[in-house]
Amino acid sequence: MASLRCHFYLITYMESLDPRVNRLNLSTTELTSKAPLDQLGTYEVFSQLKEDKPYFHVGPVHAPNCEMAFLFAKEQFSRRQTCTGLFVVETRNIKVSVFTEGEDTVYNYISNPGELANGNTESFELFHLKKRGKQHEYIGTIEASSAEVALSMVKSEFINDKPVYNIWIIKTSDIESSQDEDKIIWDTLPDKKFRDAIAYKAADKIKEFKERQ
Amino acid sequence: MMTNTEALKELIYKMADDQLILGHRNSEWTGFGPLLEEDIAFSSMAQDKVGQSYALYQILNDLGEGDPDTVAFMRNADQFHNSQLVELPNGEYDFSLVRHFLFDTAEAIRFQMLTNCSHEPLAQLANKIKGELRYHTMHADIWIKQLGRATEESVSKLQDSLDRLIPYAIGVFEPSPMEDQIIEDKIFEGEGKLRQQWEEAILVVISKTSLNLPDLSLVKPVYGGRVGQHTEHLQPLLDEMSEVFKIDPTADW
Repeated sequence: MASLRCHFYLITYMESLDPRVNRLNLSTTELTSKAPLDQLGTYEVFSQLKEDKPYFHVGPVHAPNCEMAFLFAKEQFSRRQTCTGLFVVETRNIKVSVFTEGEDTVYNYISNPGELANGNTESFELFHLKKRGKQHEYIGTIEASSAEVALSMVKSEFINDKPVYNIWIIKTSDIESSQDEDKIIWDTLPDKKFRDAIAYKAADKIKEFKERQ
Repeated sequence: MMTNTEALKELIYKMADDQLILGHRNSEWTGFGPLLEEDIAFSSMAQDKVGQSYALYQILNDLGEGDPDTVAFMRNADQFHNSQLVELPNGEYDFSLVRHFLFDTAEAIRFQMLTNCSHEPLAQLANKIKGELRYHTMHADIWIKQLGRATEESVSKLQDSLDRLIPYAIGVFEPSPMEDQIIEDKIFEGEGKLRQQWEEAILVVISKTSLNLPDLSLVKPVYGGRVGQHTEHLQPLLDEMSEVFKIDPTADW
């Protein structure tokens, strides 16, 4: 069963899932859909550590729908750190750019817009990967007629000298977010030190135990 | 205001014992949950429950009762005041989920009422853990809505568990002999009022599913837990839970 799934996985998603593969082929399309990771469907989770800090990507959860994804994400990603807000979005609804590295910013590969925003615009959330191996972080919100147009507009609005290695764009309406009236669910997190190994001062006891051996 | 300490203690004992026993039961799912994410969520909530029981035993300790560990680990089944609902073995996941839904809905309303309790430490605790309880009921409601309208199999399994558990769930509201005193002293609005609000709350969720709530006025409640009458399932749970403490009461992490 596992090997069968693996096989399916490789054929379908290899091109877009593996960054090493992406790097070999930089000039295909500018945006692809981020591939789901498993058969139940995955949702990407974004967390905010403090009220005034930007949301950043913390990882995926498996779930049958958005509501349950939020439910799982809450315990998964606020168990060992503080949190003041959380949202989830279905993995396939994240538009992913190509990857770059070194001094090469991904915006070198974004072309100018063919068409600018016409009548019907929607809001899109933009995330940057500023260091390889780190998480994508929220940069800003853009009104545009599509993710592609949003991407081309970003270039003029949010770029500074530092290279950006990858971009995620998410339609705001695809996001399931914590509600203001539910903010109290984060209240007692700082009291749960017992969930951290560091709260257990065991070193002395282990030393004493070893000496007795 | 002068509060009736005996009535207050009785109320806190039954709440603390409910939380401790259900916390332990739910923790038995750790490592066996239906998917990893749910395993972690359910285990975290079990941990919350044990933490809440500790806080309640601490309030009892301040009212002159024994220290929390001794009270939790050194009593026998007939000295526990938990409802029989919380001591029943886990069964399959549908059973544990329905119990979680029925119990946590009642618990959240009870603590909401207690935010106005005349005994200040209990009111403070009720305010402090509001957020934990909000997540617990959110979790229960979403699962019941999901499985309660998913497939024929999931609906029939939940329905069977619901039918089996309802008499035990109503047992949670077993009136205290000091009920009038508790209400008069503004400790708590009483089991009758709690039950009424609970019935409305569970109906809101059940009516969004394909499940049928039995006619609650015809259900014969399973009472006895509050006065120390328990099923044969409680004592083995207590023996397991207190095993380490009984070997070495000073054992610490």
